Amino acid sequence: MKVLIELIVSFASTVGFGLVTNVPRRSLLPAGITGSLAWVAYYLVLQVDNGLILPNFTAAIVIGILGNISAVMFRVPVNMIYVPSLVSLVPGGILYLGMRSFTLGNEMRTGQYMFNALTIAIALAVGFVVAEVIFYRIKPILLRTLDKQKEN
Amino acid sequence: MDQSISEDELIAVCGRVGKILLTSGAETSRVEGTVEYIGRAAHYDISCHATITALFVGVKNQTKTHLVKVRLGDFNLEKVDEINTMSRKFVTGQIDFDELKRTIEQIDKKVIDFTWPEKVFGAALVSVAPMLLFKATWADLGLAFFVGIFGYLAAALSSPRIKTPYVAAGLGGFTVGFLAAVLQSLGIATNAGNIIVSALMPLVPGVAITNSFREIIDRNTISGVVRAVDALIIAGSIGAGVVLGAGLSGIIFHIIGGGL
Repeated sequence: MKVLIELIVSFASTVGFGLVTNVPRRSLLPAGITGSLAWVAYYLVLQVDNGLILPNFTAAIVIGILGNISAVMFRVPVNMIYVPSLVSLVPGGILYLGMRSFTLGNEMRTGQYMFNALTIAIALAVGFVVAEVIFYRIKPILLRTLDKQKEN
Repeated sequence: MDQSISEDELIAVCGRVGKILLTSGAETSRVEGTVEYIGRAAHYDISCHATITALFVGVKNQTKTHLVKVRLGDFNLEKVDEINTMSRKFVTGQIDFDELKRTIEQIDKKVIDFTWPEKVFGAALVSVAPMLLFKATWADLGLAFFVGIFGYLAAALSSPRIKTPYVAAGLGGFTVGFLAAVLQSLGIATNAGNIIVSALMPLVPGVAITNSFREIIDRNTISGVVRAVDALIIAGSIGAGVVLGAGLSGIIFHIIGGGL
């Protein structure tokens, strides 16, 4: 039940950010699906491993693979899928909390928040690299199946 | 394709393509790739170097180089997509160079956008952060939905009118902080902090900082660092705005409380 609610809210979030960043309409639905599945992956890994790196890394791999697949299927640049689906994962809130602590002169917490934000951003970026490496193995198979579908 | 396209014309069009792509939030590697792709399709050996603040286009073994200055812009991914479609059509020969030139001018001038109600609704949806589900109360998340609308409107409406950079983000933060603190003081909201973090989701540069690390890993170090510093300062101005807004609401309620 909880997972279902998480799925719905993250889908809404992703589509919403797609509207804000003005993605082409045909990529709203694939982006929403990618974003919500990545968030569910994040949520499930978080139940097992309560750290920052592993959940974000997993979610980034999900976005990277699904995003590249839907980019090929719907003929959109892959960034159109990446940017909206990232919105619930990225360390925006933590970055804000860190800068607020900075404004209030709280050094210890500033350092802690900034370090967390850096960790998350790097975990996501490395996840994308790994996902792209995996995707280059999948791509020929995907293209072949798409060609077969067209013939039918 | 014939060789009738002049070098100057091609370089000018390529510069324009790169500029639109960069200001709409495409990655530098995509900008360079697209421009060189168009050049190759027109039978010129174009080389392009893009950083986030400037773009150089030139033909190899020639002395001419075209320099385009760029300023950091907001995301407008639909423009990136349209340019991409056009360049792909040009490369496969579906449209000729003149048509490419014309459409690119159109795309540059056209304001491609969702309607305001759609964008505001989008911002409101983003304002209910999945990060805070089951951590904040449902009432707080519901309030964040509406506070987020005002925060986004404050930032989006002020950004074309105020030329000083970072003020718009600060105003958005100010609005969100003020409203959340007022709601808590009135006893409607349970935790202003949760509302603020949730309602700031459309404004904070989280995606920008992640993209900047992707650029750094891609060895586009300059662009990555510029984006990261920009994101940090945006987050800083939002943070300062929230502190000011919450402080103002505190003062107001102090005065009212003293008067009663």
